[in-house]
Amino acid sequence: MSLVRLAGASFTYAGADAPALRDLTLEVGAGELVALAGPAGAGTTTLLLVAGGYAPRVIAGTLTGERTIAAQRPAIVFATPWTQLTGLCHTVHAEVAFGPASHGRPREVVLVAAERAMRQAQVDHLEGRDPATLSGGELQRVIVASALALEPDLLVLDDPAAELDPAAADGLYRLLREVAQAGAAILVATPDLERVAPVATRAMWLEGGRVVKDGAPAEVLA
Amino acid sequence: MTAVAAAAGFPVRWEGVSFAYAGDDVLHGVSLAIEAGESVALLGPNGAGKTTLTRMLMGLVRPRAGRVTVGDWDVAAKRPHQMAARVGYAFQHADQQLFARTVAADVAFGPTRLGLGVAHVPQVLDELSLRAEAGRHPYDLPAPLRKVVSLAGVLAMRTGVLVLDEPTAGFDRDLRARVVAALRRRLDAGVTVISVSHDLHFVRATATREVTLDRGRITADRAVSPSL
Repeated sequence: MSLVRLAGASFTYAGADAPALRDLTLEVGAGELVALAGPAGAGTTTLLLVAGGYAPRVIAGTLTGERTIAAQRPAIVFATPWTQLTGLCHTVHAEVAFGPASHGRPREVVLVAAERAMRQAQVDHLEGRDPATLSGGELQRVIVASALALEPDLLVLDDPAAELDPAAADGLYRLLREVAQAGAAILVATPDLERVAPVATRAMWLEGGRVVKDGAPAEVLA
Repeated sequence: MTAVAAAAGFPVRWEGVSFAYAGDDVLHGVSLAIEAGESVALLGPNGAGKTTLTRMLMGLVRPRAGRVTVGDWDVAAKRPHQMAARVGYAFQHADQQLFARTVAADVAFGPTRLGLGVAHVPQVLDELSLRAEAGRHPYDLPAPLRKVVSLAGVLAMRTGVLVLDEPTAGFDRDLRARVVAALRRRLDAGVTVISVSHDLHFVRATATREVTLDRGRITADRAVSPSL
C-alpha cells in the first residue's frame, strides 16, 4: 500500500526565487526504506518535508503538483536534533513520552510505547537525565526514540546518525531496517552512503532539486 | 595579512579535572597535555565526556575539581570572551553560533570583536568556497553549509588554538575536503587543533594524535600520522 505519493511535485520556500524541489514523482509503500542523497542543497531535506506533509503545512512555501499522504501517523527526525526538543520535559523519559501523550493516548499505552522506543534507540539508560545535559549523539538518539514512540507508519529522517559514534550509527541503520520490515515506510536523507546502502530498498540521488538517479541502492549510491 | 593565524599555537592542559551534570559524573580526574601545534582528535562513544572536556577550554564549563590552562592562562581566571582571543571554538550545533543577517557579516563578527579587522575575511570565505554565499542569510543555507559558515567564523578569528566539535558531521566528501584543506594550512602555521569527531575520514586526514575517552576517563592515547 502506498503511504505517500508525489506526482510532478515542486516546492518553493516562501521568499525564495526558485523551487527547492522540482517536478518530483515518488511513491513509497509500507516496508520500503528509501535513501535520499546528493550534494549540499540538492533538495533532500525539502523532499523529506514535503513527503512527510510538513511543507507547506508547517514550513511556509508553495507546493504544486500532486501529493497524497495515506499515512496516519507520520513522524520526522530533523538534522538539528536540539531544535526538536519540546523544552517542556525535564527527563528523557518524559521527552519520549510527550509525543504519544499529546496525541491523547491512554497513560498505559503511552508508557509502553515510550519504554519500547527508548530501548529501540538505546537510550533507556538515560531515562532520568535532563535532555539539556545530553551529548549531541545522545540527544540525537533521544529524538529518534521520540519519533518511534509515535509508532509511525511513515518516518522521515534527516541525517539521523550524523552525531553518532560508529557503533551507534550502525545500530541505528539496523533499527531503521527493522522498523521498515515491521511495516513502516521510511525515507532517510544522508551523506553516509556506506551505512545506508546495505539497508535501503531503494535510493534516489538528487541535484538541484531534481532526481537524477533512482533505483537499487548499490547502483545509485556507488 | 595572512588568513591563517595571528599567533602561534598554545599548549593546552587539563590537570585532574572532574565534572558532573546534576549528579551524573561525566569526567573523572582527567589529565591531558597537548603541545602547541599538535592536532589531537578526541574519540570515544557518545556521552564519553569529549564535548564537556573541550568546553572547559573556553570557560563554558567549569570543572568541579582540577585545573585547565591554555598557554600561561589559567582558564579559571578568565571569562569566555577573554578566552576567545586564544581559543576558537566551533560548536557541535552550528546554528547556536550563527546570528548575523549575511554569511559575510557572521564570519566577520569574531575578528571584529577581537580587533583583528576584516581584511582577511574574504580569504577565509574563499578557502571554504563560501564567496558565492557571502550575501545570503545563513539560515537560507542547507544545514551542512551553515556548519561550514560557522567554521569560517571561527577560522577568521585566527586564534592559536582551534577546538572543533564534530566539524564534519553531515558533510559529503566535497565539504569535508574543504575543511581538511583549511585545517592543514593552520597546522602548517603551528596552530593547535583539538577536534571531537566520529568521522574517521576526517580524523585520518588531520590528526597527529588520537586520544580516546570512555565514560569520563582516557582509555587510549597514541601518536598517528595524518594520511594525505
